[in-house]
Amino acid sequence: MEIKIGRNVLEANELTAARNARVFRENTLFALNMMSSPGSGKTTILEKTIEALREQLKLAVIEGDVYTEKDADRIRKYDIPVVQINTHGSCHLDAKMIKDVLPSFNLKALDLLIIENVGNLVCPAEFRLGEEARVAVLSVPEGDDKPMKYPLLFRESDVALINKIDLLEYFDFDLERVKEEIKTINPKIKIFALSSKTLEGFADWLSWLKDNVQK
Amino acid sequence: MHESAMIDNFVEIIENKVKEYNVKKVTKIKLKVGKLTCLCPGTLKSCFEAVTGEKDLLKDAVLEVEEVPLKACCESCGQTFLLENNNFFCPFCQHPYIKIVAGRELFIESVEVEEDGN
Repeated sequence: MEIKIGRNVLEANELTAARNARVFRENTLFALNMMSSPGSGKTTILEKTIEALREQLKLAVIEGDVYTEKDADRIRKYDIPVVQINTHGSCHLDAKMIKDVLPSFNLKALDLLIIENVGNLVCPAEFRLGEEARVAVLSVPEGDDKPMKYPLLFRESDVALINKIDLLEYFDFDLERVKEEIKTINPKIKIFALSSKTLEGFADWLSWLKDNVQK
Repeated sequence: MHESAMIDNFVEIIENKVKEYNVKKVTKIKLKVGKLTCLCPGTLKSCFEAVTGEKDLLKDAVLEVEEVPLKACCESCGQTFLLENNNFFCPFCQHPYIKIVAGRELFIESVEVEEDGN
């Protein structure tokens, strides 16, 4: 006998993500999900973003890693609320992990919550967390072929940050071609080429953030 | 690897559904996995066997995975087409704004079961 089921396996995550999104909206909190491979510079971008915006916005961070509190320790020095999630094996954060740590924050008092996902170019794109915007980070040393190799991440993101442009002279990285390729995958995506070291290009990223938080 | 978390989720969906019937065991599970879904059908099958090996209801079930091709619909001319080679634009009118309509699934289509004769 055949029994029809017709169910989406990811629906449990989708439902929890929708619940998280509702909670963020009710608390007028802008939540961002930053995704990339390990070593692209997400945490450094986050540090520089916090340094620039903490006088103007109430910020909080959720760090996601398989193991260690290393990234949360880096954020703690800014004296803003931060929680580290360790997945102990899972290669991405999911909506339930976010839901479980939200009671650690005074959400009403926050303007911007940045979630730094586990370093991975594949799976995080599959799992919504309830965020309002998704940011894909790519860095120059990783190579200029990554968007075409990992299209889902760029397709699913609202912003692409191309980091470490201070290293362009040392690598065969065709910046204009990468931007074109990202746009062919997702014509609606906003692209910011920047350096978290020299802060070149950082102002445009910060403007985008402030404009969207204050909307 | 997250296929094991997925398997837990879909084992739960199946167990909850078959409770409505007089089922002795599940013999086949038909799953649709989209081409752009970040799951490896081979790993999915291995994880499935590992998780269900001890469950009488599911231990003999064969996982049949159908890969769903990536399909999109143009937001300008409305035509539907297969999306190939990461060409995320309409092949008919070249418009860049397209909506993916298939190929992102992780869908349990149906199960085949052996009914409990008792």
